[in-house]
Parts: sequence; C-alpha cells; structure tokens
Amino acid sequence: MNRRLLPLLISVLALFALVAAACGSDDDSGGDAEAGGDTDEAAAEEPAPPDGPTIRVRGQDFSESVTIAEVYAQYLAAKGYEIEVLTPAGFRTEAIDGISNGDLDLIIDYIGGALSALAPDAGSSSDPAEIVGIIAPLYQDLGATLLDVSPAVDGDALVVRGDSEAATISDLASIETVFGASAACFERPQCFIGYTDPDIYGIEFADTVTIEFGPLLGEALAAGEVDAVVWNTTAPQIGEQGFKVLDDDMGLHPAQNIAPIVVSSVLDAYGDQLATDLNALSAAITTDDLVAWNIETDINFRESDDVAADWLEEKGLL
Amino acid sequence: MSVVAQAANPIIRWEWIVDEWDQIQEALIQHLELTILSVSLGALVAALLSAVALRFRPMATPITGFTGFLYTIPSVALFGLLVPYFGLTRTTAVLPLAAYTLLILVTNTLAGFDAVPASVRDAADGMGLTPTQRVIKVELPLALPYIIAGLRIAVVSTVGLVTVASIIGQGGLGRLILDGLRRTFWTPMTIGATLSIVLALVLDGVIYLIGRAATPWAQRARTT
Amino acid sequence: MTVVVFAQAAIPRDIGLFEFLFGAEYWTGAGGILTSLWDTVVLCAAVVVVATVVAVPLATALAHHGRGELSVTWIVTLSRAIPTFAVAGLLVPISLRRGLGFEPWPIFIALLLLALPPIYLNTYTAVKDVDRGVVDAARAMGFSERHVLFRVEMALGTAVILAGVRVAAVQVVATEPIRAFLGGDGLGRYVRDGLGQNNDNLLLGGAILVAALAALTGVMFGLAQRLALPAGVRRLARPRTR
Repeated sequence: MNRRLLPLLISVLALFALVAAACGSDDDSGGDAEAGGDTDEAAAEEPAPPDGPTIRVRGQDFSESVTIAEVYAQYLAAKGYEIEVLTPAGFRTEAIDGISNGDLDLIIDYIGGALSALAPDAGSSSDPAEIVGIIAPLYQDLGATLLDVSPAVDGDALVVRGDSEAATISDLASIETVFGASAACFERPQCFIGYTDPDIYGIEFADTVTIEFGPLLGEALAAGEVDAVVWNTTAPQIGEQGFKVLDDDMGLHPAQNIAPIVVSSVLDAYGDQLATDLNALSAAITTDDLVAWNIETDINFRESDDVAADWLEEKGLL
Repeated sequence: MSVVAQAANPIIRWEWIVDEWDQIQEALIQHLELTILSVSLGALVAALLSAVALRFRPMATPITGFTGFLYTIPSVALFGLLVPYFGLTRTTAVLPLAAYTLLILVTNTLAGFDAVPASVRDAADGMGLTPTQRVIKVELPLALPYIIAGLRIAVVSTVGLVTVASIIGQGGLGRLILDGLRRTFWTPMTIGATLSIVLALVLDGVIYLIGRAATPWAQRARTT
Repeated sequence: MTVVVFAQAAIPRDIGLFEFLFGAEYWTGAGGILTSLWDTVVLCAAVVVVATVVAVPLATALAHHGRGELSVTWIVTLSRAIPTFAVAGLLVPISLRRGLGFEPWPIFIALLLLALPPIYLNTYTAVKDVDRGVVDAARAMGFSERHVLFRVEMALGTAVILAGVRVAAVQVVATEPIRAFLGGDGLGRYVRDGLGQNNDNLLLGGAILVAALAALTGVMFGLAQRLALPAGVRRLARPRTR
C-alpha cells in the first residue's frame, strides 16, 4: 500500500505547493459542488439569467440537512443563480448565526426547531401557520425572510424498540424506561422537560443517557442500553431496525416542516424571482422524499450531492 | 416506511474511493494547509517565547508553565470556546492548533540551548564574539537538532489534531471521519484515519530530511 | 430515581461561570462535579496504570537487549497522528453491537493507545541512554545482568520514565472528555452540554475543570519525578524533555 500511496502523496504535496503559490490563502473552498455542470444548458433555456449576489448556502452537520442544502443549491444553480455550497458545519445555532452575521445567505431549517431556538419560552404548536406567525418576525429582526414552508416534515419522535408495550408517550409513565437523547433535548420544554413535567407527560425515567444525535441513538436502542430515544421521524433506521415511533398523544412536539430562510437584502436584490423559485421547490418536496434521501445517504451510503442531483432530475427540476 | 436492507458496509468500499476522489483530495489539501498554517504560527510564537525565556532566565518557568497549561485544555472545548468569537472559520481552527504546538516547540528549543556546552560558549566569548553573534552563529546551530526534533513532534501531533477541527467545518481528513461516524459508514473513517497517519509520516520524513541537510555536522543528532 | 432526572436538567441556561464553579449545588448530587470528577479520575488512573504496566517492561526489555530502535520511531510517529476520537467513535458501535455497552471498553482502548507511546518511548530512551561506562563498570564489578538492569539502568532512568508517564497522564486527562460524546459522562459532560445547549459559561466551566485536573496531574507527576532521584544521581541521569 505504501508503495502506491507514496507517489500519490508526493504528487498531492506538489499540487498543494502549486495551489498555494497560485492563489495564496483561498478561504473555505467548501463543499463538493459548484452545484451541477448544467448551468450552460439552463442559461440556454432561460434567456435572462437572474442577476444578483452570490448565494452562499451551508447544510447543518447531518445527512438530511446536507442533502436538503444540495437540493436547493443545485436547483438554484440550474436556474442560473450564482451559488456557493460551503462545507457542512454546526447545527441550528451556527446556521442562524451565519444568517445574522453575513456568512450565509440561505439556510433551510425545521420550523419547530427554529421556534425553540428563537423563542424558547413560546409554547409548542402542531400548526405550522402558528409557528410561522411567531418565527417570521423574529427572522425579520435578524435581517432575513422566512419563505413558504414545505409540506415535507421531519418531526421529533420518541422512538422505542418494536417489542415495547408502549404505543403512546403517555404509556411510558407506567413502564420502567431508560431515556436517551442529545444534550440539547435535556433543556428544551418540547423535549425532556415536557416529558417529565407533571403537568404534561409526567414520566419519571429510571435513568437518562446523553447520546450524540444520529445513528448512535439507534445503536444504543437496539443494544438495550436505553429503552426510548428522541430521534427524528425521517430517520431511516427506524424502519430498517423495526423500531416504532410513539404517538405524541398530548401534542408536545411542534410542527417541523422545512422552510428556506434567505437574507432579506439578497432576496430583494433578485426581485420576486428568487422567492418564486424557492417556493416552487419547497412545494415539490414531500416527507417521503426526505425519508428516501436518508435511506440513500445513511443506509446505501451514497453522497448527498448525487442523491440531490438524481431527485431533481427525476422531478424534472434541473 | 419500508424495511430496507442495509447496504454492505465493509471496512473499505473501493468504488467509494474512486467516486469520491475529488472529496478525498480536497480533504487532504485542506488538512495540509491547516497543518502548515498552524505549525508556522506556532513556530513563530514559540521562537518569540523562547527568545524571551533565554534572554530573561526567570521567565523560563512561567513560559513553559503557560504553554503546558494551554496543552491541557481539551481541543473540542477550545474550538467550542472560540466559535462565539470567530465563528466557524479557519481562525477558530488555527489558534488552538498553534497553541498546542507551543509546549513542544518551546521546551525543545530551550533544551537545545541548554545542551550547548559551557566550554563552547566560553570559547565563543574568548574569540571576541558579541553575545548576539554568539547566540546566532554558535548556539543556534548547535541547538538546531533539538529544534528540528521538536518541529517533527509538533507537525505529527498537529496532523492528528487537525482531524478534530472538522467539527467546526474546516474540512480536512477529519471531515471524512466525522462523516463516517455520523452515518456509521466505515469507508470514509478508514480513509480519513489512514491518510492522516500517512500524511504525518510523510511530513515527518520531509522535516527529518530538511533537518539533516541543515545540520550536516550533526549526523548523529539525537531525535527524541 | 427521580434525582437522576433532575440532576440532568439542573444547570440553568443563564448560569454564571463563577456560580457554576463555586456553587455547592453543582458539586454534589448525581450529576454533580464531584461524581463526574471521580468518574474521570478512575478511568484515567486505570488507563495510565495499565499503560505503564505494559509499556515499561516491554521497552526496558527491548532497550536492554538493544533491539527495537526502528520500532520506537515508528510507533511514536504513528501514534501521534492517530485521531483518538476516530478510534473511540469506531469502537462504540462495535461495542454496542456485541452487547458490551457504551462503556468502558471503547474509551479505555482509545485512551490506552494514546498513553502507551510516550511511556514506551521515554522508558526506551532512558534505559538506552544510561552511560555505557557506568554499565560496563557495574558489569566489571560482577553485577549480574538482572542487577545491571534493575539496579543501574532502570534506577538511573526513573526520572525519564516518570516524565513519560507524566506526559501520558496529562494527555489522557485532557482527552478523556471525548467520552461524554460517546454515551458516557465524566468531566466532559459539561463541555458536551455546554456545546449542545449553547451554554457558553457551562462550556467554559467544563473546560476549566478539565484543564485544572490535567495541570494538577502534571504538577503531581513533576513532584514525583523530583523525588524519584537522590541528588547525587540526578547529576548523572540528566533528565530530558520528552
């Protein structure tokens, strides 16, 4: 292996020297995609390509968010917008920071999550319109505009093994349960605090374990380390490993539709065109699409940019 | 939701390497850039600190103590602490990485100067060299093998630490590892970890060769 | 059992740094600093002890017989570049699938890999570096090989060996917080929760606690190093930095 890798490394080193010499420090060259090579084709179809600033988009650091960012980026690039896809990083906080400090121009987020981040003390709601009514003005204060929400939902889910006796979250009150969730859940009213609040679910968990969000939740559940985990409804492992999602019978979980958020000045620079295009795309994405994308990336191990390109092609959106 | 069969998840899926070659290459270059930037900054600061410690001897203990303290801060926490100030930027990655090199570079530089025999110093003084000339023409070359040894350790451990910088979106081989962890997909993890070790070996070798060329009189130089 | 539950949620979002570090209620209880500290100390001590027990005899034997020069360089180079969090992250799913749980094996093995090389390297250098004249003199005086090894080589090298253990211990303590990201707790829990809950003072407090423990570890081994050698031998042994 060394014999093959060594010349390769040396050539990469040489390449690096060239790159460094040519452009000094080039910042964040970022993601895999200047999003599709189809720009020429699109430009040929549309005589007047939209004119405005480059739109920088970045997915949060988990597969679904990365794929969603790629879908929006490649779609816009095909329509002739200047797009830059940054390396996925951070989670909601960093995304919102990026919008407000000018590092990013477009993020796609889940509205219920945005609600708990922007207005931690506002109650929960399963009505998307109600949540939008609260968070849209808060985004406006940050200099950004929340566009139409998509019908696609990736909701919060309290997940148990398939053989669990529980069918609803309330059922857990009478079953000895070890609870697993990410650190963020433990301080959120719509999550751990709501499950344990005597006025809501009032569950007394036998023990709690903090687990990083992602497939580790499923591994821990399958291994019996925990009996219930807070995951998301579109996690493909839920179906794959035969887990079940408990019914949120008290309506604690907020609506979690996805929606694009654009820096207002960028939106204005493009006139109505950008908003129209983005709303058309959001309307075309369904919850089943999210699940299908996650199966491709997390079960079949395909890359988000390829999955996004295939879907756009299939829907005739490129 | 349909039950889907998990795709084969061997330690290495060779076709993934071919398909994602661009991504791997980019990660390698980012890794190299971050390593070089961090060690360069670290070496600059370490040179200043060492100069102060050598010129004003009582400062040596507080300086090594301080660099030792920096070394004890967990890297994940240090990156996390800087994010509110510098955002998810290269600065946030490079500052801690450079800070972690200081302990090794400063201690090795000081050890190098300490190892210069007193008789050599006396001889230099006797030949009429000024203190500055003595340091630059006599002591520095003699301390060089130690400094080079320190640089080698600093570079190799920085290559390992750069992988952690992926959590703040700075790419590099850690990006592949993190991606693999997030999907329980072994291939990118294996590639990321292997390339990080190979890169460390190559850079170590490069500095070793440079060091040999720079100190022809010290072929038997110790490489602690 | 409810205690556990409230302990998890007990640290308020707007906590002040000093309030966290000096508030008695954050030190005691199930998720308190004392419990976390104890968890961390036990794991780190176990790792350092095992690493020492494995590395010191191995390196001594190899150095005494003058073998393994190449292995030293390679092991040290490789080990420094192995990302500990990748090793631990890889081992966690494997451990879970085998029914061994989150803890302690994955984090233990990852930290052990971190601790072995500095101890091995310093022991090897220490034994190797003992003045050959002294060794020859000992042999000429009729010392057996065992006596040469234990009474001369290792005795003179103790300070250098301890320096290796010190480096290993400090690294282990400073790296142990990754355990909190892999289903465990320990002092890293405050770093994890601070990051995950966007609570900067909690994050800072956690980092300070870990750094303080690591610094204390370094100081204690430094003292041990100084005590390990009688003044007369200290001049001979010339302890080296790493």
